[in-house]
Amino acid sequence: MAENSGLPTNARAAAGTRWGELLAAAQTGDADAYREFLTAILPFVRTIARQRCWAEDMAEDVVQDVLLTIHRVRHTYEPGRPVKPWLAAITIRRSIDATRKRGRIGKRELFNQSAYETFADPRANHEPDTDAPRVLARMTEGLSRGQKEAIELVKIQEMSLVEASAASGQSVASLKVNIHRAMKKLRLGLVGSLE
Amino acid sequence: MTRPSIDTVIAALAADIRPVTSLPPPARRAISTIAIIMFVVAVGVYLLSDVGALRERQSGREAAFGLEMFAILATGLLAITAAFFASIPGRSRWWRTAPLPALAAWLILSGAGCYGDLVRNGASGWAMGESLHCLVFIVATSALLAGPVVWRLSRASPIEPLPVALLGGLGIAAFSAFILQFFHPFTVTFLDLAVHLVAILAVVVVIALLNRRALAPA
Repeated sequence: MAENSGLPTNARAAAGTRWGELLAAAQTGDADAYREFLTAILPFVRTIARQRCWAEDMAEDVVQDVLLTIHRVRHTYEPGRPVKPWLAAITIRRSIDATRKRGRIGKRELFNQSAYETFADPRANHEPDTDAPRVLARMTEGLSRGQKEAIELVKIQEMSLVEASAASGQSVASLKVNIHRAMKKLRLGLVGSLE
Repeated sequence: MTRPSIDTVIAALAADIRPVTSLPPPARRAISTIAIIMFVVAVGVYLLSDVGALRERQSGREAAFGLEMFAILATGLLAITAAFFASIPGRSRWWRTAPLPALAAWLILSGAGCYGDLVRNGASGWAMGESLHCLVFIVATSALLAGPVVWRLSRASPIEPLPVALLGGLGIAAFSAFILQFFHPFTVTFLDLAVHLVAILAVVVVIALLNRRALAPA
């Protein structure tokens, strides 16, 4: 079944036993054992994923998803029991989930590169050709320094409030107030410019 | 979105490792959960039911009634046990079918009882008793029992929650129907039986619909 299927039966059994021991050690918080376990099971997981997924990139997504699932449900492994059926069940489940998800997306969505283009002339679609940075600079002219900083960190750089607070030195409450006031000013400025 | 390399994922997971307590075997978890349910059942029946009246009501068909009660109880026990096994990856998928023979026996024995009444009492065998009270009773008792059962099942963070929810819902509904038998003040007719089934299905469906939320991995 797995990549080590060429090994003699007792060697495969020994590998399974070793994986069980490593996972049991990982349950106690042993990071080295956990790293060794996750690395050792990769061929086994990859083989099952490839059997059930038609695309290579999808199989690799499943492998990563399986590792994350193992991390979340590692407490359900009962030390002393065979580890391979436990791993195989998780991999098969995640493969089925991925196949269904891909099928659902495929039914409803269509990738069309030209859909991102607005004009036939390729130069018109280049971001640097637009005057967005200048427009943004003009719109933020009327904001105070604190408001500009709050908008820049939270809305443009998409930092969380806590991260923005650490970066700017403003408290989370001040950031919230500054963003609220800045958004109000920007909205009024936008409406004014349209009128 | 760019996928991180597998080595990066492994390194991140190993860095995040914390000790966890391995779950006890599913059989042990099922037994302790069933013990809690049976305690609730025993206390409720002892304090609230009239066993003498029940015996009088079922006189003449003690054996059939006993078998029916056994089938209901077996459905509940097997469904709850199966739910705990189904919540652990890698356990036999046959567990999912474990309660089906007992469920079939329950339906057949209940149906046979109703048919006997129909033959004995004629058209009144189709009459509707106080079935709506039974529906409310089953739903309310199931809501009471669902809390500890769903909580204990959710400890396993099942990777496939739907079968776990269906089996758990069936087990809870069966136990509720078992308790109901002690409080049922009249002989069950076909319509009553249909209402009981609707109540049981409602419990199973509600718990199954809640499965992603209630049994979502921690």
